[in-house]
Amino acid sequence: MTRIHKIVDANTNEVIERPYSKEEMAEYELDAKLKQKEQAQAESKATAKAALLEKLGITAEEATLLLS
Amino acid sequence: MAKQSFSVGQVLTAAQMTSLQATAMGGGSPSVKTASYTLVAADAGTVIQVNSTSATTITVNTGLFAAGDSVQIQNIGSGTTTITSGTATVNSAGSLGVTQYDGGFLYFSSASSAIWFDYTQAGTTLPLTTKGDLFGYSTTNARIPVGADATVLTADSTQALGVKWAAAGGADPNYTLLNSGGTSLSGSTTTITFTAYNSLLIAIENISTDAANSVIDIRLNSDSANNYGAGSWYMVSGNGSYQQEDQNASRIRLLRCNAAVSSDNRGYIQIWGAKTSGQKPFNLVGTGQPGSPNNGRSYVSVGRYVGSSAITSVSIIADAGSFDSGTVYIYGSN
Repeated sequence: MTRIHKIVDANTNEVIERPYSKEEMAEYELDAKLKQKEQAQAESKATAKAALLEKLGITAEEATLLLS
Repeated sequence: MAKQSFSVGQVLTAAQMTSLQATAMGGGSPSVKTASYTLVAADAGTVIQVNSTSATTITVNTGLFAAGDSVQIQNIGSGTTTITSGTATVNSAGSLGVTQYDGGFLYFSSASSAIWFDYTQAGTTLPLTTKGDLFGYSTTNARIPVGADATVLTADSTQALGVKWAAAGGADPNYTLLNSGGTSLSGSTTTITFTAYNSLLIAIENISTDAANSVIDIRLNSDSANNYGAGSWYMVSGNGSYQQEDQNASRIRLLRCNAAVSSDNRGYIQIWGAKTSGQKPFNLVGTGQPGSPNNGRSYVSVGRYVGSSAITSVSIIADAGSFDSGTVYIYGSN
């Protein structure tokens, strides 16, 4: 997927649009991997929480009450 | 009376004495000219009075006058008389033009060189015409027209006269929009470069991307080093409390867009000391995922940017997809 970098000079109104540089693309890909990992961890945590509540036979609100 | 050569034992008549006295006092009967005229030796010590409705000249040639001679020249006509260097040199502090009812002395420092002493220095007439006008200067004397009520005169080197009338400054500096009309966001990153200002206010309106759940970040001076330190919090959905947001040290998080890719996302960042080489504190508010007031991510962030260069660019970065709407406005103040 091509990612575009738009650069605007506010003094001259000159506009340049170019594809991401090698460095920009590398940073983007690294960020995307981290974001995927964080999302997977969040989903896994939510799934584990739901499974535990089901096993205990209580709702999330009831669990909050027990811990308060 | 023209310059005389007196001899020993000569008897002066009363008329001669009266005429000589009048000449010595700067007066005397003038020799009236109604057209251009070239001075002759006999004009030394006399008054030449020009009376013409047309432009005329008084020409000065060399070899006719001695050092110390003078000729008074007057103009009572509506046509301008110009003292003109013929074969002699004529020096003057200003214009050699003699307008109506102006005059002066032509003083000879040698047989070939004279100095024109103008009574009113024609050409430097005051240009003021209106109550409140001021006398200014560009490359010549000029009128500074009176400004609007309650404005003050401000130095401005871009103006022809070097000054302009402007609203009186208060304790707070005014912000100037640096990117006229704002800059539309497009691509995955939009960077705006601008002249450095000490204080910056960057507002971003109606942001959306063509990908769901995009995170929108800000980067300064295209600096990807870990020069950004911020504490950032966002409202936790449903209970109105705030939770800390992880921050990337190489940029500043502005907001997260809605999963539904709404364009109702906006935020701003204020940066102080943006023209200094030291640390540059900032504060930021951004809100995405619109809905009920506490259902979404409303970011509050404070921090500092420690890059040493003055800030002359800001980048708005979408971590997923490309911008399909949004406008950024950059305001600067010194």
